[in-house]
Amino acid sequence: MADHTELDWNWAFYKELVEDVDENRNIIQCISCGKCVGDCPAAKVSTFNSRKIIQKVLRGDKSVLKDSDIWHCYLCERCKRVCPKENINIPLLIINLRNESFKRGYGPRYNDLRKYVEMSERYLTKGTVLEEPLGENLPQERIDELNTICDFARIKYVFKASKEKQKSKRKKS
Amino acid sequence: MNFNNLALDLHEIEKEYPENPLDYFKEKKICLFKACLEKYFPGVRWGFQDLLEELQLESSTCLNQSCCSGTFFQRNLITRAQFSAINERNLNEMNQQADIAFFSCNGCYNSLLRGRDFLKNPEVRVKTQEILNSISKKVDGERYPGIYNILENPKLKLVHDLDFLYLIRNDVLNTLKFDLGNLKVAIHYGCHYLNLSRDKKTLDSYFGSKTKLEGLIELFGGIPVDYQERESCCGWGASQLLINPREALKITYNKLKSAENVGADFLLMPCPTCLYTLSKPEYRDNIEKWFGEKLEIPTIHLNELIAILRGCEEERCISLTRKTPRLEEIFEIITQQ
Repeated sequence: MADHTELDWNWAFYKELVEDVDENRNIIQCISCGKCVGDCPAAKVSTFNSRKIIQKVLRGDKSVLKDSDIWHCYLCERCKRVCPKENINIPLLIINLRNESFKRGYGPRYNDLRKYVEMSERYLTKGTVLEEPLGENLPQERIDELNTICDFARIKYVFKASKEKQKSKRKKS
Repeated sequence: MNFNNLALDLHEIEKEYPENPLDYFKEKKICLFKACLEKYFPGVRWGFQDLLEELQLESSTCLNQSCCSGTFFQRNLITRAQFSAINERNLNEMNQQADIAFFSCNGCYNSLLRGRDFLKNPEVRVKTQEILNSISKKVDGERYPGIYNILENPKLKLVHDLDFLYLIRNDVLNTLKFDLGNLKVAIHYGCHYLNLSRDKKTLDSYFGSKTKLEGLIELFGGIPVDYQERESCCGWGASQLLINPREALKITYNKLKSAENVGADFLLMPCPTCLYTLSKPEYRDNIEKWFGEKLEIPTIHLNELIAILRGCEEERCISLTRKTPRLEEIFEIITQQ
């Protein structure tokens, strides 16, 4: 971090993110104390570093969207708890950055999301993420409501992609 | 509009009912929020249901409630407004039939509070209501009026099972047939209970709820043991265990190993998602394969433990289909007193 000065700061990217998710405004309060990194489970097992990510955003460095780092966050919210500032919401910033990354086509590919295919399918056909719920199934009308809520969401594209893949597999065989 | 958090005010209940907080819950309609992972650990719900029955509290589940969708929001598969709409739909449904919703899962509890919190943002609120309106157009409006709107002042309050059980701990104690007989218990709270930011406002609320499990274990005759990784994540990490299994299982390994190192007889937690991660045989096998150590510490959800201590049948409280290491051994130690 020492190789950067205040002159490097560029607010364009920060403003873009704040426009999208207003709560990101608070990351400007970050004093770079590093408590979030010291207590972070992801930092212990990967190169994830929330302090560096905030610094990159504040410097307008959009390469953060291509970094695989943002996909290693555990969203455990421990950083939020230990942060000496009141309203810095790093997990929400990470979710926002992942969204931006998806939009620009840097997000995980279909293969990385394959674990979600079954869960998405179950959610949109049964309203649960497991094979069956404990107890009664959700009525079909209510499942239709969930499908309406999820219109145009990535969850539907993941589900559709799985259907298309199944079809092409069937054709090949 | 008032978007105050819907968590049940436990301090207020303690003040109003200093003799017996359980009285507050009598005559209240209780809804048990159905956590998806209870499917694997039915004792988490059944054990709790049986306890409520013995305490003469009326409880039900909500047929129209869906999964909380936290897992999809955390992986960017739905937007904030869609997430809030799913949660608001669930709140609408439960609000029709109950006064209090109980949560056995940290993830579900956090999802409903977080979905509600997002509504403080005007833009998310507008989008959420638009989504809810699009449902209303399609459903039969006669089912009940006002479906689905963002609830301005819902009567429904939310409470985590752990908070409730601690609040009425003396009544719980009176229902027990067995005690823990000085078994050593390592406590795992789980991130989405431990790190709830709404607890940050005062020192009392920041630290107050973080020792409830220890308090219960002492009350039940066990010895809570401190261990280095007490506050660490279970390793699930919003599905990191599916995406980056080796990294995530390193965290699980550290947690289990740390608890074994201090001689804990079992690991206790208030969340079925953490329980799934910390007990799944496939994960334990991978830990052995990748980190060269076989870890056999048993893991139990608080609701299951109370069911065991109440003398509930083994099949109903811990379900033998679950292959958690050495769980039957703990069951026998407790029930053969």
